Amino acid sequence: MLAEKSKPQPITADDGVNAGSRHPRLSLVPAKLESRQWAHHGFPQVQKVLRERFCHQQLPEEPEGVEAQHKHLLELLKRTAIHGESNSLLIVGPRGAGKTMLLKCVLRDLLQDKEVQKNLLQVHLNGLLQTDDRIALKEITRQLHLENAVGDKVFGSFAENLAFLLEALKKGDRSSSRPVLFVLDEFDLFAHHKNQTLLYNLFDVSQSAQTPIAVVGVTCRLDVLELLEKRVKSRFSHRQIHLLSSLTVTQYLRLVGTQLSLPDEFPDAKFAQEWNSSIETLCADKSVEEVLQRHFNASKDFRSMHMLLMLCLSRVSVAKPVIQPADLQEASRLCLADAKANMLHGLSILELCLIIAMKHLNDVYEGEPFNLQMVHNEFKKFLQRKSNSMYNFNQPVVRKAFEHLQQLELIRPVEGSSAKTQSEYQLMRLMLDHSQIMEALQKYPQCPTDVKQWAMSAFG
Amino acid sequence: MSTSSVSKGCFVFKPSAKKKRTLGLDDYFTDGCEGAETSKIRFKLCQDLWDKIKTETEVLQDELSKKILNSLLDFTMRCSSTHQHSDWASQMRASEIPTAALILGVNVPDHDMTFQSLCELLQQSVTPHVASVQAKECGALKHLMKRVLERLMDTVLAVDDDEEEEAEQTRGQIHKKVHCSLGTLCDWYSTKTKKSSSGTPGKKRTSAVRHEQQQPPLVIIFKDLEAFNPRVLQDFIIICSRYIHRVPLVFIFGIATSPSTIQHMLPHSVSSLLCIELFQSLSCTQHLATVIDKLILTHNFPFKLNNKVMQVLISIFLYHDFSVRNFIKGLQLALLEHFHSQPLSVLCCKKTEAFLNVMQLSNCDLERVRQLGSFRRYVEKQELQEQASLLNDDTYLKEVCKKFVKELHKYHKNYYPVLRCLHTLTSTLPRYPLGKQIRELHLICLEKNVWENEDYQSAMKLLKMLAKDELISLLQRCAEILQPVKSKIMKSALSQLQELLAKFKQLDTAAGETAPSVEDSITSPVKNLQKKTDLFQLQKTLLEMNESRRSKNLSPFEALRNEALEFIDNLVKIHLSPPESQTLYEVCYYSPSATVRRHLNATPRTSIQAALNTPYYYLKNDRLKTEDGLASNAAPDICIAYKLHLECGRLINLYDWLEAYATVVSGAEGNNPGSDNYVKVDEVKHARFIRAVSELEFLGFIKSTKQKTDHVARLTWGGC
Amino acid sequence: MTTLLQHPGYEEGRLQKVAELLPCREVQAGMLLSLMGEPQQYSYPSIFIYGHRASGKSHVMHVLLKELELPHATVSCVECVSVVLLFEHVLRSFFGSDAASLLPCSPSLSDFVRVYRQQCSQSPAKETRYIVMEKAELLRDTDANVLPALLRLQELVEDNVTVILLSEIVWDKFRPNTGCFEPLVLNFPDYSKGELQQILSRDRHPSYSAEFYSSYINILLGVFYSVCRDLRELRHLAALNFSKFCEPVEEGKVKETDTHKLWRNIEPHLKKAMQTVYLREVSSLQWEQMQQMEEKETGILRGLSAHTHVELPYYSKFLLIAAYLASYNPARTDKRFFLKHHGKIRKTNFLKKNEKTSNHLLGPKPFPLDRLLAIFYSVVDSRVAPTASIFSQISSLVTLQLLAQVSHDDQLDAPKYKCAVSMDFICAISRTVNFDIVKYLYDFL
Repeated sequence: MLAEKSKPQPITADDGVNAGSRHPRLSLVPAKLESRQWAHHGFPQVQKVLRERFCHQQLPEEPEGVEAQHKHLLELLKRTAIHGESNSLLIVGPRGAGKTMLLKCVLRDLLQDKEVQKNLLQVHLNGLLQTDDRIALKEITRQLHLENAVGDKVFGSFAENLAFLLEALKKGDRSSSRPVLFVLDEFDLFAHHKNQTLLYNLFDVSQSAQTPIAVVGVTCRLDVLELLEKRVKSRFSHRQIHLLSSLTVTQYLRLVGTQLSLPDEFPDAKFAQEWNSSIETLCADKSVEEVLQRHFNASKDFRSMHMLLMLCLSRVSVAKPVIQPADLQEASRLCLADAKANMLHGLSILELCLIIAMKHLNDVYEGEPFNLQMVHNEFKKFLQRKSNSMYNFNQPVVRKAFEHLQQLELIRPVEGSSAKTQSEYQLMRLMLDHSQIMEALQKYPQCPTDVKQWAMSAFG
Repeated sequence: MSTSSVSKGCFVFKPSAKKKRTLGLDDYFTDGCEGAETSKIRFKLCQDLWDKIKTETEVLQDELSKKILNSLLDFTMRCSSTHQHSDWASQMRASEIPTAALILGVNVPDHDMTFQSLCELLQQSVTPHVASVQAKECGALKHLMKRVLERLMDTVLAVDDDEEEEAEQTRGQIHKKVHCSLGTLCDWYSTKTKKSSSGTPGKKRTSAVRHEQQQPPLVIIFKDLEAFNPRVLQDFIIICSRYIHRVPLVFIFGIATSPSTIQHMLPHSVSSLLCIELFQSLSCTQHLATVIDKLILTHNFPFKLNNKVMQVLISIFLYHDFSVRNFIKGLQLALLEHFHSQPLSVLCCKKTEAFLNVMQLSNCDLERVRQLGSFRRYVEKQELQEQASLLNDDTYLKEVCKKFVKELHKYHKNYYPVLRCLHTLTSTLPRYPLGKQIRELHLICLEKNVWENEDYQSAMKLLKMLAKDELISLLQRCAEILQPVKSKIMKSALSQLQELLAKFKQLDTAAGETAPSVEDSITSPVKNLQKKTDLFQLQKTLLEMNESRRSKNLSPFEALRNEALEFIDNLVKIHLSPPESQTLYEVCYYSPSATVRRHLNATPRTSIQAALNTPYYYLKNDRLKTEDGLASNAAPDICIAYKLHLECGRLINLYDWLEAYATVVSGAEGNNPGSDNYVKVDEVKHARFIRAVSELEFLGFIKSTKQKTDHVARLTWGGC
Repeated sequence: MTTLLQHPGYEEGRLQKVAELLPCREVQAGMLLSLMGEPQQYSYPSIFIYGHRASGKSHVMHVLLKELELPHATVSCVECVSVVLLFEHVLRSFFGSDAASLLPCSPSLSDFVRVYRQQCSQSPAKETRYIVMEKAELLRDTDANVLPALLRLQELVEDNVTVILLSEIVWDKFRPNTGCFEPLVLNFPDYSKGELQQILSRDRHPSYSAEFYSSYINILLGVFYSVCRDLRELRHLAALNFSKFCEPVEEGKVKETDTHKLWRNIEPHLKKAMQTVYLREVSSLQWEQMQQMEEKETGILRGLSAHTHVELPYYSKFLLIAAYLASYNPARTDKRFFLKHHGKIRKTNFLKKNEKTSNHLLGPKPFPLDRLLAIFYSVVDSRVAPTASIFSQISSLVTLQLLAQVSHDDQLDAPKYKCAVSMDFICAISRTVNFDIVKYLYDFL
C-alpha cells in the first residue's frame, strides 16, 4: 500500500496532491484517506468503464435475457452470409429494450467467422437520416463503395438502379455474388416513403433468388406490418423477433447489480473487488430495493436503467468512491421529478394568481376555453373580495404575465383560433390539472395565505 | 384570314406589321378632342403647367417632411454614437435595439415619397447601409432575412468603386451560397468597416466624424409595420438582438395607425428588446392645407377649379382617403380634362402667351367665344352697334378678348390677397362664421357673392366688436399679406391700410385716458362671447349690443374701427366677386364636376345596374331606346335576363326564366306569335340564356342554391 | 462553496474561475461537471436542461465549456431559419470552415452525418465534443426527424459527442408520438429572492458603497418581486432607477444609511416604473431623460399605448363603428337597434337571460360584409352612394389591422370580418363624429 503510494503514475499523483490540497480536512480522517489512496488508481477507470457501458451502449459479452432471440437471429444471418440465402425479418420491441444491442452482438459474433468477414457486405440505413428513397439510394451506393461504378449514369427507375448496384457487386473475381446485409433502423419511417419503393425493391430482391441479401428491420412499432402496402407486405417473409422484456423484479435487481459491477479484466483487481462488494451491499439495501422497485414499475428497459445508474455514477467522486443508497435515492428523485411543478415553483405570484383564476374558470365552465379578459375579470373579482397581500395590477401588467405563461406553454391557444384575433380575446386552455396546481401552491415559497385560500375555495 | 377547323381550337393571329404604329402622348390627347387644330398648343400648355405643378408639389413635400426627417437623422446618429458607449447605465441598455416608430397617418399611398427621401437623406448624411422592406415581400422569416441582407450589401455595392466591386461581387456569390444569416452580415460588416477605416487614414478628421465613418449604423426600415406577420417580425427582432453587440443595427418602423400597435403585435418578451422612440409626422389635413395654399390659392397657375369641382376633390379627401397624392392626381385629371375638352383653353396661360394665342384664334374659335355664357351676358349689357361689332368684327373681338384676359389675370392677382386678408380677420372669430380653414372661405367666395352671405354679415358684426389691440394685430397681419403683392390696386390698398393703422397708433397716443373705459365696456362682451358657443346666445348678445351702440355716441376708436371695416368690406366687394362675374372665365375655370366625380369616385354597382337597365346609356343604339319599364327585346341577352329576374322572388325557377326569355327573344326575331316554332327553345337560345345567367352569377346578382332543385337565389332585392 | 466545483479531469484554477463566474449556480454547475466526466471519457448522449428564462442555463453552459476549453458548438435555434445553418455551424466549429463547405447545396440530415463521420474519422475526438442548442423548443417546428436524430447523435456518428438542449419548456412537450431516445433531464430552478439579491448586488455602481446598492436592490425587489422574477428584467430596472434612488443622497438631503427616507423617496417612482418602463411603454432612453426632468414635466411623456388616437376619413370612422357594433351585438338585435319603427319588441324576450357572459368578455364575433354595410348605411347620417372607395376603405381598414378578415383571403363572395379595436378606441372615434355608440351596444343596455 505505502509502496504504491511512493511510486504512483504521474497523473494520479498530482491528482492525489490536488485532492489533498483541495480538502485538507480529509487528511485528518484516516479511513477516508485510506479509501482515497486506492481511489485514485481505480477511480478514473471505473468512471471510464461504467460510462462506456451507460452512455456509449458498449456491448456486453453476452446479452442477458435474450439468448433465444440471439441464437435465432445469428442462425438466420449465418444462412445469408455463408449459404447465400436471402432473408428478411423484423426486430420489434419497445424503445430501449435492446434491439440494436442484440443486433450488434449478433453481428459481432457473426464476424468472428473469417469467411463471413471477407464475404459479407453491410448496409446500415436509418429512417431518421434517409428520409426519402433518393437519399437512401445514394447512401446505399456509398456504403457499397460503388460511387465510381455508378458514375453519372441515369436510371429509369429505382428498381433498375438497385439492380445495377447488386449487379455491380457481382462483377469482380468470382461469379457468385457476395451476400449483402441491409439493416434498416427505425424501420417504420421507411414505410412512410413515397409508395414504399425502397422496401418494395429490397423485399422483392430478397424474394427472388438474385443476389443473396438479408433485410433486417428494427422498429419500436408493434403494428409496423399495418404500415406496409399489400404488395410490399406480400413480399416480406413474416419473420419477426419480438423483444418484450419479461424481466421480473428480482431479475431487474440482479441486472442492476451486474450493470454496476466491474468486469474481471479490470486493471486494478483489488479495487474491482472492493467496488463489486460495495455494489452488492448496495443492492442488498432495503431502500435501494424500493427505489428500484418503483423504477421497475415505471419502465423496465435498459435505457431508463442506464440513465438512473448514470446519475448515481455521476455522484461518485475521488472523495467518495462508492455508491451509497442515498445517491440512488437522489438519482431517482431527479428522474421522477415532475417538471411542471418545478416550473410552477418559479412563477411570480401574479402569474400564480392568474393560473388559479384559470383553474376556477375551468371549474365553473366545465373546462371551456378562456381568454385573457375572462381571467383578468376573475382575478379582479378576487381582488375586490379579499386581497390584503395583492394590489391591483392594471391590464398591461397582467397581460405581460399572461404572455409569459403562454411562452412556458402552461396555457396553449385553442386550435383554429387564428393569430388574427386580438391577443386578449385569444381562447386558451390550461395545460395543468387540479392536483398539480395544488401541489405547486404547497411548495410555493412564502405564498400569501389569502391566495392559498382563494385556490382552495370551491366557488370562483 | 379564316380558319376552318373541326376541333374548337384557339388561333393566334399576329397583328400585321403595317398596322403597328406607336402613338405619342399628344396623339392620344388630340384624337377625339374638339378644336383639333389648336390641340397641339393646348397639349403643350397643359404639359408645361403640369410640370410646374409637379415640381412645386415635390418641393412642398420635401420641406414639409424636412423637420421629421431631420429628427430621425440625428436619432440614428445618436444611436450609432452611443452604440460604443460604455458608461454604467448604458451597459444595461446594450442589448436593446434602437428603434424609431414613425407615425405617418392612414394614407398609406403617400408614405412612399417620405421613405424615398428618408432613404436618400440617410445615405447621404449618416450611413451607406440602409435597407427598407415591405410586408408583402417577406412572408416568411427567411425571405425577410434574405431581403435585408441583399439590400444592405447591395447598397454598399452601389456606392463602392470598381475594383472593390469585384471583391464584393465574389463575396456576394459566396453569401448566396452560404445561406444568409446575420452571422455572415456581421463578418461582412466587420470587413467593410475595417476596409473603410484603413481606406481613409491620411485624411484629417475630428475623432467623432472618423468614429462615425468607422461604425456607420445599419438601418432597417419596415415600411408598413401593420401588414407584417407578427411571428416573422418577432423572430427577426430576437435574432437581431443577439447580434446587436457586434453590429449597430437601427430599426425604423413605418406605422400608419398608432404606436400602440407595436404593443399589440409584439409580446413583451420581444418588445423588451427594443428601445423605441416616437416620431409623429404632421397630419395629412395640415398637409392638404399647405398644398391648397400653394397650388390653388395662387395666381401663378392660370388654371382654376370652380366651386363644384373643388368641392368634389376636397370631399373625396375628407370622406374617403386622406391622401394628398390622390388630391393632386384629381387636380391633374381636371387639368387634362380642361385642356382636352375646352378649345378656348389656349388662352389659359401666361398673359403674354395668351395675347399671342388670342391673335392666333381661328374664326371658329371666335365663334366659340361668342357662344360663351359670360361673353353673351357681357354683350347684352352693351349698346347695339357695340354688340354688332362684337358679334361680327373678328379683329375687334380679338382686341376685346385681350382686354378680358388681362382683366382675368388682374382679378386673380387681387382675389387671393384679399381672400387671405378676410380669412385672417374672420378665422379667429368665435364659432368661425366663415370657416376655420381658408379653403372653406374660398369655396364660399367661389359659390356666390360672399358679402350677401349672412354668415359674412355676422362676421362683420363680430369684427365691429373687436377690442383695439386685437383689431390692430389683425390689420397688421393683413398689411403683411398685402406687402409682397405687386399690383397697383393692392399697393394702394396697402397704403390705405397703413394710414388706418397709423391713425390707430396716434389715437392711443392722443386720447389714452378715455380709451380704456370704452374699450373694456366694448371688449368685455366679445371676451365672454369667446366662451359661450351657443348660436342663439350669440345672436341675442349681438342684437342687444347693436341697441347699446345706437344709444351711445361713437367713441373715436369705434369710428375709426368702423372706417377700417368699411375699407375691408369695400375690398371684399370689389375683389371677391365669384369668377362667374368675370367675362371669359370659362377659359381658366374647369366646371364639369360630374366628370371628375365619375373618374375619381367610381360607382361600379350603379353603373352596372344602369347598363343592365338601360343598355342605350352605354351602347348608343337607337333600337335600344325604350320607354323604361319593359325590356327592349333587341337588348343584349344579359339585359333581358336581368330584367326578367327582377320580376322574380328570392328563388328563381330556371325553367320559367328560360321560357320567359325565349318568348322575349323570339319576339325580337319577329316570327309571329301564331306560328308553332314560336317560343320553342332551340339550343341556340338555350345556350345564350345559359351564358346570360352565368354572366349574372358572375356579376353577383344570383347564386346557385341547394334549397330547391332547378332554382337559383337572388342576391339583390327590390324589383321593377 | 468552491468545494462543489472539483473534478480530477480539470485544473483547479479554472474550476475556481468558473465558480467565480457562476454565483448561486454552483450546484448545477457541479452536477453538470460530474455528468460530463473527464474530457476523454464518454458523456451521456443527450442532456436536456430546462428552467425559467434567465435562470442561467446558457450562461452556465457557456462558462463551463469556454473556461474549461472543451470543444463545443453553441447554436441558437432561433437563428436556424433552416437546419442547414445548424449543420454548417456545427461542422465549422468542430472541423473548421472547409468541412462546412463539403455539404451539398441543400443538405439532408444524412449528408450532415456523412460529412461529420468522415471528418471525425480523420480527426477523432480526444475529448468529448459538445453541441449546445439554445431555445431548443424551436426544434419541434423543424423537420420531424431532426430532434430525434440529434438526441441519438452520438450513436449515429459514432463519435464522443454530447448534445445539450436548453429550453424554457418541459421535456414532456418535446416527446414525439412514437417516442425517441430519452435525454437526461436536468432542471435549473429559479433563483430565490435571496439569490436574486446577491446576484443583483454584484453589479453595483462604482461610486457607491456595496451595502448602499444592496439596500437599493432590496427595495426594488420589494416592489417588483411579486410581478417579475426575470433576472434580466430586474437588472434592467435596477439600472434605470438607481440614479433616482441616490438623488437625495447627491443633494445631501439624506444619508446613505437612512434607508427609510430613501424608500419613501423611491417607492412611488418605482410604482410608476411598473406601468411604464417595465412594460416598455417608455423606452429606457426616454425614461432616463425623465429622471433629469422635474416632477411636473414628467407628466408630458406618455407611454406607447397612450397614443391610440388615429386620424381616419369620415366614412372610415363610420365603417369602423359599424364593424364594432356588428361584432359585439348579436345579429338578431340589429332589427331593434337600427330599424326606425321595429314593431313591438318586448324587452323581456329581447334580452335573453341565458347569455351568461357579456360579449366584451368573449371578444368580437365575425360578421359578413353585407351586415356591415347594412349597419353602416343606417348609422351614417347622410345617404352615401356605394362607391368603389367605400369598399376600398374596408380593405384598407383590414391592412391597418383595425378590422381583421376572418375568412380566407381568396374567398371572394361573402367575406367575413371582425372588429379589432378596443372599447375606448371606438368610443374616442365615435365622439369625434358625435355618435353615441354606447346606446347601440347590447352589453350596455
